Amino acid sequence: MADTSKAPSFPITKRRLRFFGLTSDELVQLFFRGNAMVSVLVLALITLFLFREGLEFFGQNQQNLQVYRRAGLDYVDHMRWQEQDHTALNRYLLDVRMKVMADLTGRGGLSVEAANQRLEAFDQYSIRFDDAIAPLRGLVSELSETASAIKTKYYINEDKRTERRQLLAAGRADEAARVEVIQVDFARELEPILASRDAYLAINRDLARELQELASAARAVPGVPVERMDRFGTLVVQYVGGFPQIEQRLATWDYREDVSLLRSFSAFIFGRQWLTASFWQDWYGVLPLFVGSLMVSMIALTLAVPLGVGAAIYVNQIASPTEQRLIKPCIEFIAAFPSVVLGFFGIAVLGEFLRSISGAAWLDWVPGFPLAERLNALTAGCLLGLIAVPTIFTLAEDALQNVPRSFKEASFALGATRLQTIVRVIIPTALSGIISAVLLGLGRVIGETMVVLLCAGNRIEIPDFTAGIAAFFQPVHTMTGIIAQEMGEVVRGEIHYRALFVVGIVLFFLSLTINFTAQKILRRYRQQPL
Amino acid sequence: MPSPLLPSSLGSAEGRNPPVVRRPVIEIADLDFHYGTSQALHDISLSIAEKEVTAFIGPSGCGKSTLLRCLNRMNDLIDGARISRGAIRIRGVDIHQRDVEVMELRKRVGMVFQKSNPFPKSIYENVVYGLRLQGVRDKTRLDEAVETSLRGAALWDEVKDRLHASGLSLSGGQQQRLCIARTIAIEPEVILMDEPCSALDPIATAKVEELIHQLKLRYTIVIVTHNMQQAARCSDRTAFFYLGKLIEFAPTKDIFMTPSNPQTEAYVSGRFG
Repeated sequence: MADTSKAPSFPITKRRLRFFGLTSDELVQLFFRGNAMVSVLVLALITLFLFREGLEFFGQNQQNLQVYRRAGLDYVDHMRWQEQDHTALNRYLLDVRMKVMADLTGRGGLSVEAANQRLEAFDQYSIRFDDAIAPLRGLVSELSETASAIKTKYYINEDKRTERRQLLAAGRADEAARVEVIQVDFARELEPILASRDAYLAINRDLARELQELASAARAVPGVPVERMDRFGTLVVQYVGGFPQIEQRLATWDYREDVSLLRSFSAFIFGRQWLTASFWQDWYGVLPLFVGSLMVSMIALTLAVPLGVGAAIYVNQIASPTEQRLIKPCIEFIAAFPSVVLGFFGIAVLGEFLRSISGAAWLDWVPGFPLAERLNALTAGCLLGLIAVPTIFTLAEDALQNVPRSFKEASFALGATRLQTIVRVIIPTALSGIISAVLLGLGRVIGETMVVLLCAGNRIEIPDFTAGIAAFFQPVHTMTGIIAQEMGEVVRGEIHYRALFVVGIVLFFLSLTINFTAQKILRRYRQQPL
Repeated sequence: MPSPLLPSSLGSAEGRNPPVVRRPVIEIADLDFHYGTSQALHDISLSIAEKEVTAFIGPSGCGKSTLLRCLNRMNDLIDGARISRGAIRIRGVDIHQRDVEVMELRKRVGMVFQKSNPFPKSIYENVVYGLRLQGVRDKTRLDEAVETSLRGAALWDEVKDRLHASGLSLSGGQQQRLCIARTIAIEPEVILMDEPCSALDPIATAKVEELIHQLKLRYTIVIVTHNMQQAARCSDRTAFFYLGKLIEFAPTKDIFMTPSNPQTEAYVSGRFG
């Protein structure tokens, strides 16, 4: 360079290469800072988006429920439920018949015809019971059509209104003027429905009288077990006893009553139905999905906690170094399986296997066996358990590793066996670490999607817990599964779309709580003086 | 009080080498010990007398702790550690035989470690740990054991009002005495102490040393120490180790006043080590 001669005898400044006025050091720093900021930003954006898309749901659901009431669907549903309860009683009779039939043809050794003959009186009774509901059923179906029509009319007009607004916004006023919108007058539309009240009361009176007769006659039906018929009689009396309440509710029913936002909220949180694209009424109740997620996770943890923690204790405290070198990578390798592959395995192998096992004669005593469905909460739970094992194992092993060696030595020096040392000193000392390992495993499981979507059976219904432990062998649907399944087919901005986002928010909070608790416990355990 | 340098229990009448040990509890004969392929102890023979304090001294890595840990088979926990020759007999029983129940051995030969290591449990639970292992459930018996042991470890007055506080809430010296209480709660015959004062300040050290003097009346004590004054103050006999070999074993007074081996003399006078 030209100015070398003028440079000081020792170089105190060094010329650095600069890009955009930044030295390489500063560029590297900027790169790291950028990375850190991107994660923060992305997290913030995701959270924001989740809430922006989700929270509007409650307003829309309020509207949804309001139309349900205004159009009289709510009114008709009270009668419909009454009818459905009757159907349930009918099923009870069918069940009785099936059992008796199996008895007669099996142990009794009768032919089907002969058995049918024996049950003739019972069948007469059943038919009479079924016929009793016919008038109500007719009324309900008639009113349903009317209510449905009101609702459709309302929504068509809403669509037109939207269309007109859009046209106006686009500046096409003349076209907008041609769109004809009429205000739906609910009071007038509802008249035929409300006018049916007297007819309903008359039908109800007859129904109650007929059922009461049937209830008292239940005992005397020949050919079937008396105690079951007695029970049936009681159930029918209970059912009829509920009639005045229904009548009362219908009498005070008012279509003008507003649906509160709180009602919209509780209909989501405590709603027992998730029913979409229905001809009658859509329901967005998260409860069946929440219960499904919870059940599958519980099964998974029941399996993964003993497996993961047990393996961690063995590897950390008992295994020889050779065994450690073999077992640790193997367990950690499970985490490397893509969950879709596990789900595939679950459908093709595990589901089939569990079902064939459940058919074995010596497992007869387990309630719910043999399994009715190949894909159910148990199948998904088993696989999720497998997924949780590496998480729980690794973290629990860490916790055990952190127990000072001196505790172990002290215990041995006092004459403890290896098992006593593990149970009395090592596990209690590592307990908070183990608990947080389990919680993080739970977090991992509850957020898992692919496996449950493939293997849980995807029936949106709260399992029948009256079946006891057999409830765990029923198909369920989960919060993660429903989002993955339905997000692809919903219209953006529509209520169903937003409902899925709210499910996402629920999941988000659930995971957040679990992880937060786990971190909290972990931190406390790290602060513990050892 | 006699000079702390000269334990009174050793009359000068006993004279010089070879050390004649009255009623030996532990006899070590021709012991070789290996960690994997490296030999840690060479041909050790010595006897430890009942109700006396025997000190093992020597520079770091000389094998004194290894020998101590052989006495209750704590070395079993280390992979590749083994005795290759010779035997250790406690009351005539070779403790490295296969049929020896290690847990029973450790109940009779207790140990106090270099770093105090109370369990993260209450003071009470720390003391009764060994008894609970043996299946003792009787509350009164446990309570008695706690008081006796804590009194025996000179800790009772300091902690009697907070027996259910965590053992980790005590000071370092108190923790070490708690560990001693825990050890004597199961009434061992021998107590092994592996540098019990190396992590303690001088006042706590003095308390533990005083305690050793009392414990000597009931227990046989083997203590490993780096601190030569401590060996001189506490012990009746001293064994000097160097590079895995037993260089000299004699009454403490003799080791410190008139060592017969030049290496011993160099070590005790502070010229190396």
